[in-house]
Amino acid sequence: MRQTYGKLLPGMRISDLSGKLIVIEGTDGVGRSTQINLLKPWLEEQGHAVLDTGMTRSPLAGEGIRRAKEGNNLGRVTQSLFYATDFVDRLENEIVPALRSGFIVLTDRYVYSLMARAFVRGMDSKWIRSIYSVALKPDAIFYLRLNIDQLVPRVVFSRGFDYWESGMDVYPGRDMYDSFCNYQTALLAEFDRLSEEYKFEVIEASADAGQVFEHLKAGIFNILEADSSKEFISTRDTKTLSISAATGKGKIAPEPQSTNPTEFELVLRSIMAHATNGNGKTALHHK
Amino acid sequence: MEITSGNGFGPYEVFLPAHSAAPKYQRHGDGEFPGRLFIVEGIDGSGKSTQLSLLHKWLESKGYGVVFSEWNSSPLVKDTTKFGKKKKMLTAATFSLIHATDFADRTEKSILPLLKAGAVVLCDRYVYTAFARDVARGMDREWVRELYGFAVKPTVAFYFRVPLETAIGRLLDGRDGFKYYEAGMDLELSDDPEESFRLFQGLILKEYEDMIPEFDLTVIDATLPIEVQQAQVRQIAKAHLDKATNVRVQQ
Repeated sequence: MRQTYGKLLPGMRISDLSGKLIVIEGTDGVGRSTQINLLKPWLEEQGHAVLDTGMTRSPLAGEGIRRAKEGNNLGRVTQSLFYATDFVDRLENEIVPALRSGFIVLTDRYVYSLMARAFVRGMDSKWIRSIYSVALKPDAIFYLRLNIDQLVPRVVFSRGFDYWESGMDVYPGRDMYDSFCNYQTALLAEFDRLSEEYKFEVIEASADAGQVFEHLKAGIFNILEADSSKEFISTRDTKTLSISAATGKGKIAPEPQSTNPTEFELVLRSIMAHATNGNGKTALHHK
Repeated sequence: MEITSGNGFGPYEVFLPAHSAAPKYQRHGDGEFPGRLFIVEGIDGSGKSTQLSLLHKWLESKGYGVVFSEWNSSPLVKDTTKFGKKKKMLTAATFSLIHATDFADRTEKSILPLLKAGAVVLCDRYVYTAFARDVARGMDREWVRELYGFAVKPTVAFYFRVPLETAIGRLLDGRDGFKYYEAGMDLELSDDPEESFRLFQGLILKEYEDMIPEFDLTVIDATLPIEVQQAQVRQIAKAHLDKATNVRVQQ
């Protein structure tokens, strides 16, 4: 049964959210979006519908946040709340409906990044936790972790220093490099703390992207498989394909062995054959 | 994560990373700054804005440094609010959050620093408007109060109390109709905007009434003649200004 971190928003039903909420967390420059760009087609290839979302992408507040950040006069309380508005707009209008439709939701950062940023800016812990008590607890939180010395070259040699990523609003140093190091170090400390509290699955992001991807795939596979007894299709025995969700009750309905598989079963088998490539197991999500 | 929420403004109470370079954001109590904060509250049509503008004129004539801040007026945020309202894409939660964001920007840029500088700050609507409206829209009472935990507690919060029918009568005289969110159409109380407005304001009025003891609101009978109300308001404001030693007054 899905839960929130304490409060339920008005009008939000969470009892029938059959999808999976998978969070990719990490500081700036650890390669989150690279991984999401790999994970999405991988999941879709297996027949899963995927929604990817991330910070400042809400139709309501995304544009307003971008504009506010241009001026460099966005205060820290205002900033925290603007991001919260963006988050809740996506939670209500994208994440929850997608989960209800059985999607796998891949989110590039979640409330933990928002909390870490707010804490580094001196915001009250009780205050920020109360705001995000309305967030859904995810099925998994993968935390891509890099040390500060590994992080610097990735950012510097790809896109350069950015005012906000360097925390210039709270860590004005002699230059952007100093600011970046101080700010990101403080963020990492917050992330490490949150990692313990919320049981992040830590993935060392210093490995090459391919290895990180393999880690993520294995982690996500476990989540999907763990659910196969209930809502996901079990394919251990391809001769007795059981489609649990088709019964609508979430139980595995033993189906009579059919010598003439239906067209649906044939399609399904071909998808599964694809999904089982390489590992002999599968976890096809059926809505 | 355990959520144990206090009620609104507290004493200083901050949990912060020890290594943070950012100064801790504090919860601000009453009388902590040289300046004074007077705010007006009440349902639409209660006459609160008229009273505040009269107080404003009077304070200026006395030489006080006066600053005025209006609900929903942050240059950084109001376009987003306007966009969300126009597209009718605000839910109870995002309606609440975007207004809190607007209020935060005004608190950080004008209300708080100006109180420190010894100004008399006047606000047309304050956190109580959010408490009343957001709760009427179904938000959790405690959650909304904690959301505004960063707000400065006003020196005096004037609540202009008026019966629903009087307020609606005043409003209907001067306008053609009500806007979608203003009428609380998003609550789906009624398909008729006027009827919806009536029901919505009724819910808000009830929240205000409950907040009088909770936040020690100063009640002004808004059915009295304008001049009588203003005399009461000035008398109360004066009592607080006379006690203040660091309020800026031009010589």
